[in-house]
Amino acid sequence: MGTQIMAASVLSGVNIVFLAALAAVWVRNYRTFRTSLVLGLLAFAVVMLVENAFALYFLFTMQSLYSGDPHVQQAVLVLRALQLLALTFLTYVTMR
Amino acid sequence: MEKALWYLLTATRGGENRVRIIRTLSDQPLNANRLADELDVGYKTIRHHLDVLESHGVVEAGGEKYGQLYFLTDQFEHSRDTFEQITKHLE
Repeated sequence: MGTQIMAASVLSGVNIVFLAALAAVWVRNYRTFRTSLVLGLLAFAVVMLVENAFALYFLFTMQSLYSGDPHVQQAVLVLRALQLLALTFLTYVTMR
Repeated sequence: MEKALWYLLTATRGGENRVRIIRTLSDQPLNANRLADELDVGYKTIRHHLDVLESHGVVEAGGEKYGQLYFLTDQFEHSRDTFEQITKHLE
């Protein structure tokens, strides 16, 4: 596995950890408040979790697709990193 | 204020404790220490929540620096219907 694809896999793994933490907070809050806002946030977290699980799956099973072109690997890494940055901000304000 | 209340109270980890703080202050203004005792929550946690609520204009401190009392703001009272709506499923 190329270094960049490995790094992208690790970032997806961290995204999953953040999303699991967010989902845990929102599940608990939904039980408490029963509001559609929290349900919407929970749905958002679950879909993003699935997206990251698919990303990991593709990174592991379709390495031949990425291995030929370093630019593709770089693009995948940048996209994973930007998602991690976005989730870091959201997790920060949610955990306060 | 309404949007901030929704997010602060229902979407964040500390939301439930912030609701409890607001409910307690609805009965009477208290200082951070008394709130910590009343709600059985650590003083540092109460301080943190009070700072967040203050920065969003939900509570304000009155009186002298040490042991100052926290009050709900007029701005919050204008949005009390929203608060009741947010917390209507809470015990």
